Amino acid sequence: MVDPASGPFLFDTSAESWLGRSGEAEVRAWLRAYLSHCEIQLSAVTVIERIRGYGLLWRRAAAGRREQIEAARVEYLANLGRVWPLGGADAVVAGEIMALLPDPPTPPRRSHQLTESRQERLARWRFDAMIAATALVLNMPLIHNNVADFEAIRSAIERFPRRFPKLGPLELIRCGALV
Amino acid sequence: MGRKSHFASQVKKQRTTVTLPTESLREAHRIARTRRVNLSTVIAEALSEGLRQQTTAERSEGVLEGYKKAFAGFTDEEMAILDGVILESADGR
Repeated sequence: MVDPASGPFLFDTSAESWLGRSGEAEVRAWLRAYLSHCEIQLSAVTVIERIRGYGLLWRRAAAGRREQIEAARVEYLANLGRVWPLGGADAVVAGEIMALLPDPPTPPRRSHQLTESRQERLARWRFDAMIAATALVLNMPLIHNNVADFEAIRSAIERFPRRFPKLGPLELIRCGALV
Repeated sequence: MGRKSHFASQVKKQRTTVTLPTESLREAHRIARTRRVNLSTVIAEALSEGLRQQTTAERSEGVLEGYKKAFAGFTDEEMAILDGVILESADGR
């Protein structure tokens, strides 16, 4: 169990929705306790991913469903926590991570008849590198629900500490380990 | 410290009458004597902290409710898209 008072933590895109959707009383109690100490901390990259997602769903949806998607987007933005911009230091670190790990550690996602293109998988991988860089520069533990990607990044940072002077280690917390 | 006292003295105040539990009032008197401040200061601080906690609890509930609405009514595939995993059919739709 992670003490909610030991935050702040940076929430990856996958972690934010995992926590937001969880119906488990223990998870909601953890989030409630965390929010009594500090705000949800997000990278601007998470906001990009999320708003792009709402936008794509809205474009693909039938006219009757668009109102619901827009209402969900507005609700999301109304409760946005602290958003950390991608600054110079984050950009340098993200660039180093992308150079060390040019390819995603796992293949594109598949689901029934749907698949993620290689281009989209690469974009998502680079977004993850930027989010990890933000956590590293802020020296904030990163809560995630994406073990394969973030463990690969953490491991690379450990193996090449000279590329990340005065930074690290990248502290990762899996959503499942929170409660 | 002096600066804080200065700001505290600038806070607008209003006299009122309240009924308090005897035990709470006794404890407030004890704290006031220990700290060498008046009873009003102790009660004002306690009230302020209680109100802060209440406001925080209300804000937390608001965020939880907001998240629930922001992510409700979506299928797993749609949630994947909201998480940045853009899934498309083979013909690109």
